[in-house]
Amino acid sequence: MYGRKASQLVKELSSSEKGQLKPFNDDLFNQVIKECSSHHVGLQALFRNMQEEGLDIQTTRNADFYGALIHHLSLTRNKRCLMAYMYNRADVIRSLRWKLGRVLPNELVMKLSNSEKEFSKGYSATLDAYMNEMNLDLTVDMVPPKDPYIQVRVLDDIGEVLLTDRSANLARYSMHFLKRTDAEQYICQGLMEELLS
Amino acid sequence: MESEPGSSDKPSNGMDDFETLISTTDVELLRRAWRNEKAAPEILRFETNLIDRVTGQLQLMEETVDDFVESSIDPLTVSLYQMDLDRTQFLLRSYLRIRLQKIEKFMFHILKTNELHDRLSKQEKNFTRRYSEVIGKHLEESVLLNLPDNYQSLIRQSTTSEEDDMVPEPQMDTFVVCKAREYVGPSELQDSNKSLASDLLMEMEPGELFFIPFKRIKKLLENGKVDLV
Repeated sequence: MYGRKASQLVKELSSSEKGQLKPFNDDLFNQVIKECSSHHVGLQALFRNMQEEGLDIQTTRNADFYGALIHHLSLTRNKRCLMAYMYNRADVIRSLRWKLGRVLPNELVMKLSNSEKEFSKGYSATLDAYMNEMNLDLTVDMVPPKDPYIQVRVLDDIGEVLLTDRSANLARYSMHFLKRTDAEQYICQGLMEELLS
Repeated sequence: MESEPGSSDKPSNGMDDFETLISTTDVELLRRAWRNEKAAPEILRFETNLIDRVTGQLQLMEETVDDFVESSIDPLTVSLYQMDLDRTQFLLRSYLRIRLQKIEKFMFHILKTNELHDRLSKQEKNFTRRYSEVIGKHLEESVLLNLPDNYQSLIRQSTTSEEDDMVPEPQMDTFVVCKAREYVGPSELQDSNKSLASDLLMEMEPGELFFIPFKRIKKLLENGKVDLV
């Protein structure tokens, strides 16, 4: 059945949780691409048939034409499904850059295809270039600030760190009273937690 | 131009010039621009002058706060100034973030439409160019180059399509809530499609809230007569 594999790809997208990526389905992807080539071959064969019978391709409407039309429509549908698959995964990759920062955790990188790894690097570089030009880090302050300083507890050993106005030794389980912008990047990575008492 | 009262204590006479730094109408303008940008479905004009002024003021405020900390002024005052600084910074960052998100979403449409492309700042234009290369390369390498010849275009389904049908466009029919700042007569609420104008004979008094499709108030928003909420 034409188009079934492509719709499986798209269903995979919708069945995963929002913001999560499944491993790149190389297998299914290549199958859909092969299906596209076979559609194209079939399309060309039918057009050749029509030409051999001396009919004008633009205007004739016989069985061969409709067969070719079905090939063309299945091909465009496969193309749309493939593009949707890639594009939506790219969307998730982009949102991960905002949530997790420049370095993505290893188990995530394993789920990406090679081209996606290139894309995530390229996107990160583009974003960094923009933030440098504007001289402003846009990935902090994602929520409207309530207090300039917050209390945090350190979950993992980070060690000696240089903050905005002083340096601090962030040992495990120590509590600090830090500036919100300083603490945010550590909270994002899961190395600190905010104490909301 | 009246001053908006700052969120700090009433300072003594010696610090009057500092108060003018903080409590200027630029923050109010930034807040308006931020709200409009958040509610509008398409990207609006970049407020270059406003952003330049605000960035300058933020820097000045940061230096002020640092000076205060060093000369050990009452910490309550310092943290209040700091909070004002943080809030303004959040507005600025959020404004830029929202614009970036809209650019990423409607990338190819913006590149195609000159009117929209002109609304970007210089840095945003650079970003758009670089990002379109990155994502174009990614999609081409993984999908398009593997497809047969006539189907390799990024923005058309195939070479037989009559227009760029794979480019998403912002929905101009989205309903938005808006408030008029001045009196708006019925003639100004016309759609460019004149035949539909007859069904919209309404006027907007200043201060009233309206729930209306975005394309009708697009022009009014650009003139500043209407604000999105």
